[in-house]
Amino acid sequence: MMEDFREVARVLNNRFVQKWKDEGKKVVGYTCSYVPDEIFYAAGILPYRVRGFGAGAMTIGDTYFGPFICSLPKCMLQLAGQGDFDFLDGAIITPGCDSMRRLDECWRKMHDDTKEHMPGFFFHFGVPHKYTEYSVKWFVDETRRLIRAAESHFNVAIKNEKLLEAIKVHNVTRELMNRFDEIRTRKDPPVAGADSLAIVLAGTAMPRDDYNRLLGDLVEEIGKSAKKLNGRKRLMLLGSANDDVDLVKIIEGERALVVADNLCFGSRFYSDLVSEEGDPVEELAKRSLAHNDCPRMYGEYRERLKKIKEKVATAGVDGVILQNIRFCDLHGSENGLFERDLEKEGIPCMRLEREYGPIVESGRMRMRIDAFLERLG
Amino acid sequence: MRRETREYNFDWMLWSAFSSASRIKMGTEKEYRTVLKYIPYFRGIAEAMLGTGEAGQKFIDCCAAYLDNLVNARERGLKTAITTFCFSPAIMYALDIMPICLEVLTVMQTLSYKRGTVEFLDYCNEVGYTETSCSAQRGSLGAYLAGVGAEIDMIVTDTPGVCDTNANAFSFASAYLDKPFFQLDMPPQLDGERSDDYHIGDFKGLIAFLEQHSGRKLDLDRLREVMREIEKQDELVAEIEDLARLVPNPLPVPFNFMVHGSRFLFAGMKECTAALEAMLKLGRENAARGISGLTGGVEKLRGFWCYIDHYTQSMRLWQMLDRNGICYEGNILSRSWAMNAPHVKEFGKEDAAYSLDLTDLDSMIRSMALLNSRMPMVKSIRGPYDAPNMWLEDNLNLARMYRADFIVYNGTPGCRNTWGMVKLMARDTEKAGIPTFIMYADAFDDRVESWEATQERFEEFLKVRGLL
Repeated sequence: MMEDFREVARVLNNRFVQKWKDEGKKVVGYTCSYVPDEIFYAAGILPYRVRGFGAGAMTIGDTYFGPFICSLPKCMLQLAGQGDFDFLDGAIITPGCDSMRRLDECWRKMHDDTKEHMPGFFFHFGVPHKYTEYSVKWFVDETRRLIRAAESHFNVAIKNEKLLEAIKVHNVTRELMNRFDEIRTRKDPPVAGADSLAIVLAGTAMPRDDYNRLLGDLVEEIGKSAKKLNGRKRLMLLGSANDDVDLVKIIEGERALVVADNLCFGSRFYSDLVSEEGDPVEELAKRSLAHNDCPRMYGEYRERLKKIKEKVATAGVDGVILQNIRFCDLHGSENGLFERDLEKEGIPCMRLEREYGPIVESGRMRMRIDAFLERLG
Repeated sequence: MRRETREYNFDWMLWSAFSSASRIKMGTEKEYRTVLKYIPYFRGIAEAMLGTGEAGQKFIDCCAAYLDNLVNARERGLKTAITTFCFSPAIMYALDIMPICLEVLTVMQTLSYKRGTVEFLDYCNEVGYTETSCSAQRGSLGAYLAGVGAEIDMIVTDTPGVCDTNANAFSFASAYLDKPFFQLDMPPQLDGERSDDYHIGDFKGLIAFLEQHSGRKLDLDRLREVMREIEKQDELVAEIEDLARLVPNPLPVPFNFMVHGSRFLFAGMKECTAALEAMLKLGRENAARGISGLTGGVEKLRGFWCYIDHYTQSMRLWQMLDRNGICYEGNILSRSWAMNAPHVKEFGKEDAAYSLDLTDLDSMIRSMALLNSRMPMVKSIRGPYDAPNMWLEDNLNLARMYRADFIVYNGTPGCRNTWGMVKLMARDTEKAGIPTFIMYADAFDDRVESWEATQERFEEFLKVRGLL
């Protein structure tokens, strides 16, 4: 099972996707955790989280994006331009942040030039930056607009009963992941942070029914496992999106364990259930928008700090690593606030700025993390 | 931050500089010339503005009055709100709240002080705010984070959905200073019922927030008075914008800055109206005489800035344009989207414009919400750049209407929203036949690229493209 997750975490067009496509079914990519992927499950379409993992160059990304832009969307565009996402039948771009929202235009203009590598369905999904009565209303309408567009393009019907079924299936994932989280944060956990990330990544890139089955088995197995990764410093990882298992491996080395996070490819993937009562579209929209873990939801810093403090306490965290991709001002700046406020509470923190993409500075990172671990004693 | 910088109150320093500048023309010409020797770093800007006569004097008076309100806000019983340039301060004036516009203060400091805002920029980074963030806010925010500015009561921004680094500056300040925060959020589409409802719902939320934190109720008559003044100002701006279409353009280079500066400081207030009236008067006079607003009197080229200017020490950008006979046809900040604006009529963009309805409270709130959603940047940099009513359409229409020979992009490296697509935009405007130049400078920080290097690259562009 774990090998399945590790493989899916490292291969974009993995064998689960290939099998899905071989069966003649569609795949729709999306760039942000604010897209309710239940919609696509309900349509019999595989929702797939677009990543930048594996980009070995930035030639295409730099052609369209300007220089002062986060390398994550640049890597995504690079892969798209190389044809690595040609298996996608659709793509949804959200204003997760300014760098990411411009993937919309850059992808389209690249297609204008090359006449290739453009999914047939391409949708700009407007996600508000606040949770109020009128922003929920907007988001419900926007979600319905997405549903109508998908129904029309893919010639499918996304009925409420199907949505409710999808919500139940995705809630099973969330419940399993919460059980996994409990195992991961035990005193002597049997699983490393790198594998925890692989498990989450797999959930964004394979059919949900397969995933739930494998995840259920895994949770069962490691829940009883006698393996103990003890004697290591327990870290929490916060900040910009990370979908690179190797980055976590560098952080963990032989002396540390990442036992908790609050990342886009992390706990945001599974926190909070969607209510199974009421109108399913409204409930999906509410669950997505109520997520204030991302600093794109402005003015919610205190709530995020509170959650992190709680997690630090329940997971027995020794230190927090606050990382951000260069030009990710949202996470970068909030990391500055977290550092101030967590250190005040006696929680050691380390800020780490990095580039997204191939890890070419492992020496620098390793040295800084070693120094941080020494500080932790 | 240097210890000595902490010794001086930031607002007071600016107030001192601009209130002194507002008086230097009161004496004889000889006294004026003598004073200029003692303000070597403010001299360029003071001369450029005061050289336009009554209009420049009124504008500097506007700046001085604004800063006087800022340093005396507490004594005058005003609450203070940190806010942003693309937010109309009129609603705050209607509630007797002093708007502290970060970007305007950054510009004031960077163009008048030798060291610009360097220490405040860096102070933000010292306390955890990223160095890659926009310098427009950082330049003055550092002073407030360091506690060397006015006491802050609340923080308001309207850039979520438009500009992350802008919105993030205000969100950061709220968390750092532990002050109440309100955001006006902008959906990707400008117009249509959904967007209108969202803008209006959000604006009602803003009013409730302002009332809660100022302890005042919005007064219908006061709001109507402010909006009547906005109506006058929109008329004046529309006529000034119309004059800029003439060849030669009768408006001096600094006017563009002075028009939007007046509105950012005092929208809906009589001080702004007076400055705009004086600008229009000179523009009309020059137009009647058929002369250019350039000091050399000869218009060789017409340039359109599709984003913002370059503001560092003494606004050497203006001097360079004026010296080269380049007429300045405005930037994203200078455009009004009132229904009577010339480009609205010219291109039939009534759907993207606002009009003011003063009938009752609901109609006034609706008007103010739509006005605010049409402020610079907020209006055109929210959705995809090539969508209807967005940046590309505006740039092409405006550059054509003003018969611009070229387009220039300048911003800051912190501007994620434009750097994400400016190459695409420049490619499109080039395809449309308008030479387009992307500056890599920081409008507020010469350490990113020296002005000399910026100027050399710009002049090289003009030469290589055979423009000058």
